[in-house]
Amino acid sequence: MRGPLGSGLEARQAVAVVFREEAPRLIGALLRQMGDFDLAEELVQDAIVEALEHWPRDGLPERPGAWLMATARRKAIDRARREARGRDKLALLMASEPAAGTGYEPEDRLRLIFTCCHPALARDAQVALTLRAVAGLTTAQIARAFLVAEPTVAQRIVRAKRKIVEARIPYRVPEGAQLRERLDEVLAVLYLMFNEGYLSSGPGAPERRDLARDAEWLVGLLVRLLPGEPEPLGLLALMRLHLARADTRFDAAGELVLLEDQDRSRWDREAIEAAGRLIQRAAAMRRPGAYQLQAAIAAVHAESPSWQETDWRQIGGLYELLLGVLDTPVVRLNRAIAVRWVAGPEAALAELDAIAADLDGYHLLHATRAVMLRALGREAEAVAEDRRALALTSNPAERALIAKRLQR
Amino acid sequence: MKYMLMFIDSGQGMPQTPEGQAVYARIGEWFQNLHQSGKMQSGEELQAVGTATTIRFNGGKAVVTDGPFIESKEHVGGFAVVEAADLDEAIEIAKRWPGGGPVEVRPCVDHSGAA
Repeated sequence: MRGPLGSGLEARQAVAVVFREEAPRLIGALLRQMGDFDLAEELVQDAIVEALEHWPRDGLPERPGAWLMATARRKAIDRARREARGRDKLALLMASEPAAGTGYEPEDRLRLIFTCCHPALARDAQVALTLRAVAGLTTAQIARAFLVAEPTVAQRIVRAKRKIVEARIPYRVPEGAQLRERLDEVLAVLYLMFNEGYLSSGPGAPERRDLARDAEWLVGLLVRLLPGEPEPLGLLALMRLHLARADTRFDAAGELVLLEDQDRSRWDREAIEAAGRLIQRAAAMRRPGAYQLQAAIAAVHAESPSWQETDWRQIGGLYELLLGVLDTPVVRLNRAIAVRWVAGPEAALAELDAIAADLDGYHLLHATRAVMLRALGREAEAVAEDRRALALTSNPAERALIAKRLQR
Repeated sequence: MKYMLMFIDSGQGMPQTPEGQAVYARIGEWFQNLHQSGKMQSGEELQAVGTATTIRFNGGKAVVTDGPFIESKEHVGGFAVVEAADLDEAIEIAKRWPGGGPVEVRPCVDHSGAA
């Protein structure tokens, strides 16, 4: 044992970091050994409670993971003796007695992520389960981050875990062609989690900003676990590029600031350069994908010294490549903004008209049309489009921005 | 573990065209492959939804009505019960279904270990 940690903030943070790293590994290992998601989670909770009693007093153990694992296994044996349902679990646990190590396998966390993000689970459930089991958030924290009632989140998690057991969703890392498909699913869950936190994180919603950080941490974990896959690197770079300019997205009054008006001197240059290196690492694998390309687009913006000097030709070219792997109306909408600066607002408007029917209910289509119409001097039509956008969004920061434009 | 694969179709029946016949032939092959792999437990193609009768229980009294249990454009047109290691294997089998319609995959309750 090292020295006592005390009960200060620093001590609590040190313990929190250990839990974050160790808890998913522990849940994964116990799930593999006993095949019971609920039980694995309960045992890890028990072990953490015990750690919180001992560590601040006795100091952090030399190998915190092994300490937690030994404690969880002891708790499992205690329970098994008490409960009938535990008898056969006890046999499983004994059969998987670790030789000298910790009882971990290197892929335990990876298996856990793929199980939580299995496509047979609803997207809400994938997100909640991943945050709970892999990122270690409590049900209450997940509920606050998603602005839903706590019992709703609890129910999603219970239902998902029940389906994993009853439909026998395997606890396994998919192989071969399936890996690519299932990895896409995992990345989609993590990106949704990130956007939920990032896009709606204004001042006064710190929980939501944390959600973006949690998602970033999870993708970082995925990068460490699957070092040969380029798309997790792409997504990590994309998230870090967003976070590098997160502080400039709102002004002192809490109002949204658009990319062209952001104070670039406050962007985190170091983070931007590091993200660039991640993109290069991914590109060296020569398997381009949607996240790598989106990250490359974000990097062109982040590396540009000013809005006026943005390399729109390069951005337009990257959007062409992106359409090759991800042809959605939203990607076309974003490309139209690049088209405006390469070929003019008339051409951009034609692009927007082509997707207008698909995105009629999406406020950003109307807000972008308004920008193009205004650039063409068609003020009355621009006002009508801004009004339409206003009616379609409930995000307060976006509403304020459009309302201000309408007042001019 | 046993899984039931329910094949959903529009209730129109297979069109009497070369294309329709080709789909039918592929469905036959699909069943044959499943048999050969030893994973097939049972399976049937069902007659058109117009032949369905539903029995409902109102306060313990059996009421017989014409039609499927739920009125919709899509119906269960057939089923197969397969033996698969886990949901992923059952999904892989269902993904190769050549019939074109959706396939619902449901695990069966295992009563073998029940006292």
